[in-house]
Amino acid sequence: MKKSHPIRRAVLATAVTVSGIVLLLSLKPATDPGSAAAAGGAAPPVGAAAPQGGAQAAGTATITGTAVQTQYGPVQVRLTVSNGKITQAEAVQAPSGGQSSQVTADAVPKLNQAAVAAQSAEIDAVSGATYTSTGYKESLQSALDQVQSSGGGSADQGGSGSAQAARTVTGAVAQTQYGPVQVRITVSGGKITQAEAVQAPSGGQSSQVTADAVPKLNQAAVAAGSADIDAVSGATYTSTGYRQSLQSALDQAGG
Amino acid sequence: MTTTLAGGRAARRQTMRRIRPRRSPAVPLLIAVWAGAAAVLWLWWQNTPSVADTTGRVLNAGRITGLLAGYLMALVVLQMARVPALERRVGSDRVARWHAMTGRYTLCLVVAHVFLIMWGYALQAGKTLGDVVQQTIDSVNQLPDMGKAAIGTGLLVLIGLVSIGPVRRRMPYDTWYHVHLMTYAAVYLTFWHQISTGNDFAVEPAAKTFWYGLYGAVTALVVWFRIITPIRLNLRHRMRVEAVIEETPGIVSVLVGGRKLHRMGAEAGQFFRWRFLAPGMRFSSHPYSLSAAPRPDMLRITVKAIGDHSARLRELEPGTRVWAEGPYGALTAQRRSRGKVLLVAGGVGITPMRALFETLPGAAGDITLLYRANSTQDLALWDELAKIADERGARLMYAVNSPDGARPDISAESLQRKIPDIDRHDVFLCGPPGFAQSVYEALRGAGVPARRIHHESFEM
Repeated sequence: MKKSHPIRRAVLATAVTVSGIVLLLSLKPATDPGSAAAAGGAAPPVGAAAPQGGAQAAGTATITGTAVQTQYGPVQVRLTVSNGKITQAEAVQAPSGGQSSQVTADAVPKLNQAAVAAQSAEIDAVSGATYTSTGYKESLQSALDQVQSSGGGSADQGGSGSAQAARTVTGAVAQTQYGPVQVRITVSGGKITQAEAVQAPSGGQSSQVTADAVPKLNQAAVAAGSADIDAVSGATYTSTGYRQSLQSALDQAGG
Repeated sequence: MTTTLAGGRAARRQTMRRIRPRRSPAVPLLIAVWAGAAAVLWLWWQNTPSVADTTGRVLNAGRITGLLAGYLMALVVLQMARVPALERRVGSDRVARWHAMTGRYTLCLVVAHVFLIMWGYALQAGKTLGDVVQQTIDSVNQLPDMGKAAIGTGLLVLIGLVSIGPVRRRMPYDTWYHVHLMTYAAVYLTFWHQISTGNDFAVEPAAKTFWYGLYGAVTALVVWFRIITPIRLNLRHRMRVEAVIEETPGIVSVLVGGRKLHRMGAEAGQFFRWRFLAPGMRFSSHPYSLSAAPRPDMLRITVKAIGDHSARLRELEPGTRVWAEGPYGALTAQRRSRGKVLLVAGGVGITPMRALFETLPGAAGDITLLYRANSTQDLALWDELAKIADERGARLMYAVNSPDGARPDISAESLQRKIPDIDRHDVFLCGPPGFAQSVYEALRGAGVPARRIHHESFEM
């Protein structure tokens, strides 16, 4: 039965809400720790539904190392191996949050380059990122072990009969307002087992939209098995381009 | 003398043994609500790696407001699901105030969410704040479930507008109520875009499960307590009007008969929402307190003719079917923590006080009723009250305006003079808002702690 003060309450609620949201937004780092992995125009991570080594038929394999726990968070490396050589290395997981994001953004591209240059896990630690470097090397080594065990990076058929029919088809480039979009799919037994964007808009806000939207589109493409997928909200243009390129890839696969 | 004293003590001990104050679950419930809000913010935090520039800030502010609005929307509906723990333990009046407060806040969040998200999308597409309207039209056309969401949001804004004080007061209650019922449709329509376009639900399948769980649980509670429970109650008890009695000019009692009415679990001080199946009254239900302890074959309500509905009650024919929902309300003996109780009634607020006056356990001299009315003719149920006071040795006092129209003095001093140990009482208070407020202040002035003043008010 205390006296109610509706105006005071409204002002208080507004002030608390606005300052709470502003605080939350300002606590987030300005750079995306995930963008370190995507640096250099690498394709964003593929959908979870896709099996590893989807690009085998083309003589190229993608191998993901084990996730290694470090003091600051997990590190996980993915390699693209083509004819026995590491052609690309990226971190699909790396420490993020606060200072870690910055360290990751700084160190991971260097480690990626070093891995490709060294063609082994014998790479130097990046100064100031000792833990991340150690974790990276460990995960890299585990990925390399997998390459070795499957015979020098040649296609690992994994004993699955359907892998014989697996093929990778790359769709036509679709131009959008923000840049080109190009989709590559792996088709096995008439089904899309993996979808990834080899090109997607990048730079500034676009990188973030891409990092956000492309994994969802990849998943949707695998789930739908067709180009009939919903646009991701906030990434309408990218979604439209993605669908066009996906359709062209499907046309090739079907024809 | 010694014997009387010992007898008095024994009787008091007897009474105290039957007093088991039950704590309102309001605090744990509020903690749960805040924990849920924190979980929702945590979900956003987990799924957002970074917030880069203005576009990122605007979009993420939109996402946060959207997530919170979606969460609170479920709670707004839950607050009106007539869950017994809320209605009977926290109190219908308090829950209704929570509902109004949460509803207003949620609507503000919804409006902020729509504006921020559309502004963010416009920025993302390289446009400016001026293109927000065009962006909204485009998004509604292109994104999944956004058409439904737009209709739902429109409904929510409409419902919000008709609930603003001055607008609501000018509307017939029934019209307002039926507009308000459209909230269910609005919540249903706005639900789907949360799942299909919500960033956090696309990224995090566990979040989607949680969201379905939240809305599913609320739907189940609404269906159970607002639909199935009343149907079962009325099929079981088959209530009909037995008689209508004019107590004083403008105040009538309605006697309602039925089967095994004591099995409804109603307590003195509680109310039901009544719907009389007579022409013109079928479509509205109104809350009226029981004015006597429930009997196995009979319930009684006493009502002052203030509105359309209450004025029509006097024309009810015996035999009219009655549809009741309840019992609701937390102004019952369970609130009591002391042996001595003061009941304060203003006008027709006597109804729950009359029931409590009859049933609150207590030795002679423990229970006091103070009854305020305009004149002695307006003291409805006075004869019964006098009889109860006589039988139980309870004190009964009244305060009416003097013949020249001056208001009686109900102040801290006068209360202390009449009841010297007033600060050791539990006080139950029921009456019009202005009266309740002034009595509350007088009681506080007389040293009664706030936690021992029990009051029910349906003013928002």
